[in-house]
Amino acid sequence: MNWFQRTFSRRRFRSELSEEIRAHLDEMTEELVASGLPPDEARAAARRQFGNVSLVEEDSRQVWRWPRIEDFVIDVRYGLRMLLKNPGFTVVAVLTLALGIGANTAMFSFAEAAWLRPWSGESPQQLAKILATTPQGPDGMFSFPDYQDLSAQVSAFEGIAAWSRHMKTLRIGADSQYVLDDLVSPNYFSILRVSPQLGRAFATDLVGNTPPVVIISDSLWKRAFHADPALVGKPVWLTGQSYTVIGIAPPHFHGLEPGVPTDLWLPATTEYASSELADRGDRDFELLARVRSGVSAGQARTELQTIGRRLAHTYPAVDKARDLALVTQPERLRDALVPVFLLMASVGLVMLICCANVAGLLLARAETRRSEVAVRLALGAGRLRLLRQLLTESFLLTASSALLGLLFAEWSFTLQPAFLPPSEFPLGLDLRLNPRVVAFTVLMSLVTVLVIGLVPALQALKPSLVPALKGDVSRGLASARRIALRDVLVVGEIALAVVLLTASGLLVRSLLSSHSIDLGFSTRKSLVFFDLVPGIAGYDAERSSALFAAAADQTTRLPGVIRSAFARRVLLSDSGGGATLPVAIPGITLPQGQQNIPIKFNAVGVGYFQTVGTRLLAGRAFSPADDSLSGSVVIISQAMSSQFWPGQDAIGRHILAAGKHRQIIGIVENAKINRIHEAPEPYMYLPFAQAPSTEGTLIVETAADTRPLVASVRNRLRDLDPNVPVTVRTLRYLMRQAFWEDQMAANFVVALALLGIFLGAVGLYAVIAFTVNQRRHEIGIRMALGAGYRNVLGMVMLQGLKLAASAAAIGLLASLVATRLLASALYGIKPTDPISFAASITLVFLVALLACYIPARRATRVDPMVALRYE
Amino acid sequence: MRKPELQRDLFPGALEMMILRTLKRQPLHGYALAQTIKRNSNDLLHIEEGSLYPALQRLLKSELVKAEWRTSSTNRRVRVYKLTAAGAKHLEDEVSRFERMLEGITRVLAPGES
Repeated sequence: MNWFQRTFSRRRFRSELSEEIRAHLDEMTEELVASGLPPDEARAAARRQFGNVSLVEEDSRQVWRWPRIEDFVIDVRYGLRMLLKNPGFTVVAVLTLALGIGANTAMFSFAEAAWLRPWSGESPQQLAKILATTPQGPDGMFSFPDYQDLSAQVSAFEGIAAWSRHMKTLRIGADSQYVLDDLVSPNYFSILRVSPQLGRAFATDLVGNTPPVVIISDSLWKRAFHADPALVGKPVWLTGQSYTVIGIAPPHFHGLEPGVPTDLWLPATTEYASSELADRGDRDFELLARVRSGVSAGQARTELQTIGRRLAHTYPAVDKARDLALVTQPERLRDALVPVFLLMASVGLVMLICCANVAGLLLARAETRRSEVAVRLALGAGRLRLLRQLLTESFLLTASSALLGLLFAEWSFTLQPAFLPPSEFPLGLDLRLNPRVVAFTVLMSLVTVLVIGLVPALQALKPSLVPALKGDVSRGLASARRIALRDVLVVGEIALAVVLLTASGLLVRSLLSSHSIDLGFSTRKSLVFFDLVPGIAGYDAERSSALFAAAADQTTRLPGVIRSAFARRVLLSDSGGGATLPVAIPGITLPQGQQNIPIKFNAVGVGYFQTVGTRLLAGRAFSPADDSLSGSVVIISQAMSSQFWPGQDAIGRHILAAGKHRQIIGIVENAKINRIHEAPEPYMYLPFAQAPSTEGTLIVETAADTRPLVASVRNRLRDLDPNVPVTVRTLRYLMRQAFWEDQMAANFVVALALLGIFLGAVGLYAVIAFTVNQRRHEIGIRMALGAGYRNVLGMVMLQGLKLAASAAAIGLLASLVATRLLASALYGIKPTDPISFAASITLVFLVALLACYIPARRATRVDPMVALRYE
Repeated sequence: MRKPELQRDLFPGALEMMILRTLKRQPLHGYALAQTIKRNSNDLLHIEEGSLYPALQRLLKSELVKAEWRTSSTNRRVRVYKLTAAGAKHLEDEVSRFERMLEGITRVLAPGES
């Protein structure tokens, strides 16, 4: 007899067993009848003595079962059937959970990539960062000579890698782009045990005057070189110098700084002359060491500290009071716990709300299944068996949500660029659904199964059988309290949604009104900014000036160009200028001890104000006559004029800027310098010709479509000197960058608010559906007594709207407090803005109406006959 | 998550042991087996007759008994259970184990000696 055959001829087995049991009962009955009992009583007595027939059958079958798999398969099949029977419920529940799981997975992948992922490279548990603890706090930067001494003296480490982050321009054809490079010690790749996917790593003994070589990242290789495998061995132009590509880094290696991926690696020893690397005070390198296997972190630390003291002793001028410390992988994880915990706690709260909602939905459904469960219990199903079956349904629900949630998370990774500030580099964490992240999701889903499944399942199993079988659904006090708790939960959810909606209304309206701020230059013009850095190509200030003049001259002649001008800094861009000049103003007395006033400035060419659209309020603009030979002049902002010469004419007066006398020849309107929301402050414009620089920006105003023009300007600039890197930005890009923070805050809060209102709606729906299911009989009676469609609809909706109204009231009060915190982030709008409040309340009520309408309509479909017959 | 397989006042394996002991004397079908056990135990052990069947299935599975369909004296199709060689061996082991256990318990429960 083979269990395998048994299992797969279940039907035969079952009928055989039934036959056997039937024979048993018959025989016993016969015997009892023979002893004088009437047949009916004999039959009953036989059954009593035998015990629960279906239980015996089930237990007998159980013996042959392959451990529980069969049960599970049956439960899954049954669960799927139940879920498919109620598609509306299933969709809402799965969507809710998937949102929660997706949000948590996305956040965890972020935390994982930002804090929890070990350092790139093989056997990362051996890697440890070297830090110096100084009286000013921990310092991770070291000079190259210190690094070399450390490397030479430690025996606890296999080696130490050093790297230093820099920026270069990479030229591909006519295009230049900024790239981030790491200047590394030649052993960098071998310490990390990272092997290039193509080509080779640096020779570890690389020093001196060898031809320059570079290893480029997989991302740059694909981005800029179309993943051309023949690139290895070819030259590339970096900041005016030719480098031979010797290798391509493997796909998931982005350097050692999460979020700011390295584009290429250069050996520091050949990039710098040895004299340049010899400055012990120039701390430019970070260090990562690989601890020798078999050496404990403690031993390594002790040795490191000894060497640190020796260094401090030998070079007291620079290395005094710098104790060396080692941060190993576990310590790094420990440091990350607090931010990770805070992040996950906040997004975990969202998950908790999702769970509460789905538990509410399940509870609402359990209400309708009471009699089903009671019947099954009465027929002899074990409670544990039923519990397992109900949990299987929660499991199926959660499993499908988890899959959908993983898809959500994967999709959310593609949104990352939208959350990053506009940048010249491809910033961003390497977000991936790696095994760690998936394990997190699985674990969270398992907890979710218990959280959403256990309460409703226990609730369903609780009823004493007799009333439930009789169809008596009147509830005791205990369940009344449960409903109250659910009400509180829903009211809280909706109130929170009101707060979030109000906040997003305020932020969006503030953003809109920010866009109408007078920036002090025109945002309607079509401007293109060409950043030129001749300094990189070895130009001095004088040659740069000639180049700028030629560039401006050539560009203005192009068709489609309205006008153009040069400027040292671009307004509102990251180079918008924190730089100041020390200014002394005759007649202005300064506080004791202060000799001059730092005032921010820009150097601009002829035609600048007209090009960007800054209005001249008094005096004249710069002319070609304001050159290096003529008298020094300056144009000041209105704020500067009214601060230092209130009520007087500033034109013609002199100031002493950086020790040089300059005559004020004009006053222009205030323009935003660094940020949209800054208050106007004194600002100066110097003529470009009188403040030479090796970098500058050609600002070109064009008639319409900028794209063809950009190409022709680029060509002109390349003709002038192909080695001068050029990068292009448009006014629209600059504006996007300037509004990025406001935009992000608004996006984030709006997203949260939408999530909040969705969850609130699901919660409200669950509560109303629950009560409708509970009151089916009551509704049936009402309808039988003559209540119409409208009465029933109104009655149910009223209940939901009462909840929504109390939530709205609480939410309004909370908003009044919460939005006060926003006040400083709002522009041109009061935190009590009635439109935002009204919009938020209206939206909440509309959504609440919808959430109540669906179950209310179901209530009107109650057939009075069916409901009554049940009693 | 199985239901308790035996009445609580029987120790695990007791029912199987009684079944094997009874079948050692002669092959029997379910009902007869139940009656025999009841009679022999003087009705002291109140087992539900139904619990016999899961126990029989377990014995079948571990091949301590075998079964075949026959026609009974009352002209019913019944399944008759028969001890296998392995079953006989198992019974011996179990009985001696049980006796050792009983001896131990008796000693502990015996008054006086310490």
